[in-house]
Amino acid sequence: MTFADFLNLALNGLVEGLLIALPALAVTLVHGLARFPNAATGDVVAAGGFGGYFTFNVTGSLLLAGLGGALVGALVSLAAYYLAFKAIMRRSVITLLLTSIGVGFFIRSVLGMSFGHELKMFSLPLTRAINFHGVLINPTDVQLAGVIVAVLAAVFVMLYVAPVGRMMRALADDPDLGRVSGIRKERVMVVMWSVTGAVCGIAGTVLGMRTTLAPEMGWTMLLPAFAAAVIGGLGNPVGAVAGAILLGVVQELSTPYVGFVYKIALGYVVMLLVLLVRPQGLFNRPQGVR
Amino acid sequence: MVSYLATILIIMVIYILLAFSLDLQYGFTGLINFGLVGFFGVGAYTSALVTMNLGLPAWLSFPAAMLVAGLLSWPLGRIALRLRDDYLAIVTLGFSEIIRLVIVKEDWLTHGVQGISGIPRLWPNWSSSASELFLLCALITAAALTTLVMRRITQSPYGRTIQAIRDDEVAVIALGKDPSIFKTQVLVIGGAIAGLAGAFYAHYITYIVPDQFVPITTFYIWMAIIMGGVARLLGSISGAVLLVFLLEGTRFLRGYIPGVTDAGMASFQLGVIGVLLILFMRWRPQGLFGKRSAT
Repeated sequence: MTFADFLNLALNGLVEGLLIALPALAVTLVHGLARFPNAATGDVVAAGGFGGYFTFNVTGSLLLAGLGGALVGALVSLAAYYLAFKAIMRRSVITLLLTSIGVGFFIRSVLGMSFGHELKMFSLPLTRAINFHGVLINPTDVQLAGVIVAVLAAVFVMLYVAPVGRMMRALADDPDLGRVSGIRKERVMVVMWSVTGAVCGIAGTVLGMRTTLAPEMGWTMLLPAFAAAVIGGLGNPVGAVAGAILLGVVQELSTPYVGFVYKIALGYVVMLLVLLVRPQGLFNRPQGVR
Repeated sequence: MVSYLATILIIMVIYILLAFSLDLQYGFTGLINFGLVGFFGVGAYTSALVTMNLGLPAWLSFPAAMLVAGLLSWPLGRIALRLRDDYLAIVTLGFSEIIRLVIVKEDWLTHGVQGISGIPRLWPNWSSSASELFLLCALITAAALTTLVMRRITQSPYGRTIQAIRDDEVAVIALGKDPSIFKTQVLVIGGAIAGLAGAFYAHYITYIVPDQFVPITTFYIWMAIIMGGVARLLGSISGAVLLVFLLEGTRFLRGYIPGVTDAGMASFQLGVIGVLLILFMRWRPQGLFGKRSAT
């Protein structure tokens, strides 16, 4: 393997990692506030992808497609919160987790019945990769990666600069202390579910532009997102993004050695190894069991 | 018609075995296993390969399937026991996917995505319908024996200990018992029961591919024990029966609605399961026959 091949794989891994970073961030934000791994995350991604696809076909604008995907994702996510999760918020993890699986099944079912199971593609013009001494860079990938980085930046600005982000982090840190300090948990929850939904919706649209759309795409996206969030430490936003990029790069770089099938398995193996060594994830401090 | 009934019953009893396995792990011990289908698959593949590659009679492959699936639960236990519920769910789900990917990749042994066809029936010299009935009888006997074993386990001092671990692990530690030993044992026993179910499945269906062992089956079994009620053997049985009626019922429905494709019906079925799961968790988390208070 030449150095150029190595760079090509690493760059491709970076883009793949960024694609996983958005749902992984959503998983970790939901876990921080609602304290369960949301198994419907992937299906919100799929719903957003179809929303973006629909908007694109109507308007022909990629920008509007992204906004449409974000809107659909946010609406689906909010609907799931109000109709399914809100009433059982104080119950056990497994109750919420199984409910989220039910929500995911339902979303996938609606997508399957409304759009059918054929793969859908955005009809985008084909672009030729630019060749820098053997390092291939696809302009579409650069643009999509730029969109993802912008979205990530916006979420982190919200989390670490805006007041609502401070409230979110306070509630994630200590819900009781947050409430006695006068934070309205309900409002923060609504913001959190809309933001994570929008993030997933954009992820779905971007994923659809890069590959194809299918109602089942959410499920294939869910486990890598879970793995990335676990590697970074559930509830830790920086960890989720770093975990996703780490996974993407490691998986791509390993492909020449282990092949395409074990590349996927490697993601879960890395997750198991991280949990063996640091059960709290790479970026979380050790904590007692809540 | 007889053949259809036999098919339904065989699938039903296989689901009952799987529900027992999950109920022992989750209902009685509180271990969240989202990777059940992995052990089911390992049982099916082990039994098929032992029969076909080693040339042993089919019935000898059943203990082998239980052994391998049980032993494979052990490393999972070593990793999982230190984790909280939410992590445990993700890890077990990932574990079953690793198992499936290994089956896909190691095609020198498992024939990869093409799967294994022509797995001998339990009594290859008989006609296929007689062999099917024989398999059904053997399956029912195995399920009855498993029920007895489950009763012995759950009503013994051992069973009280694992239920105590479920209810208050710290209290069990304070009593001087080590929960991790019990949890590992429960994972291994549950894995073996799932492996047994897999062995029956392989010899019934005679054709296995990795795609039969995707996580949706795990969630069907979760659905069954949630509907029937956790921590009760009657709950597992009735839940599995209900599940089969539900799955078959939506299939029957298709005959009455014109112009519905197979894929469309599968989507509809998924939606029904999804909504039922949400409603049960919201309104009746203890299931139809469960006695455990809602948590």
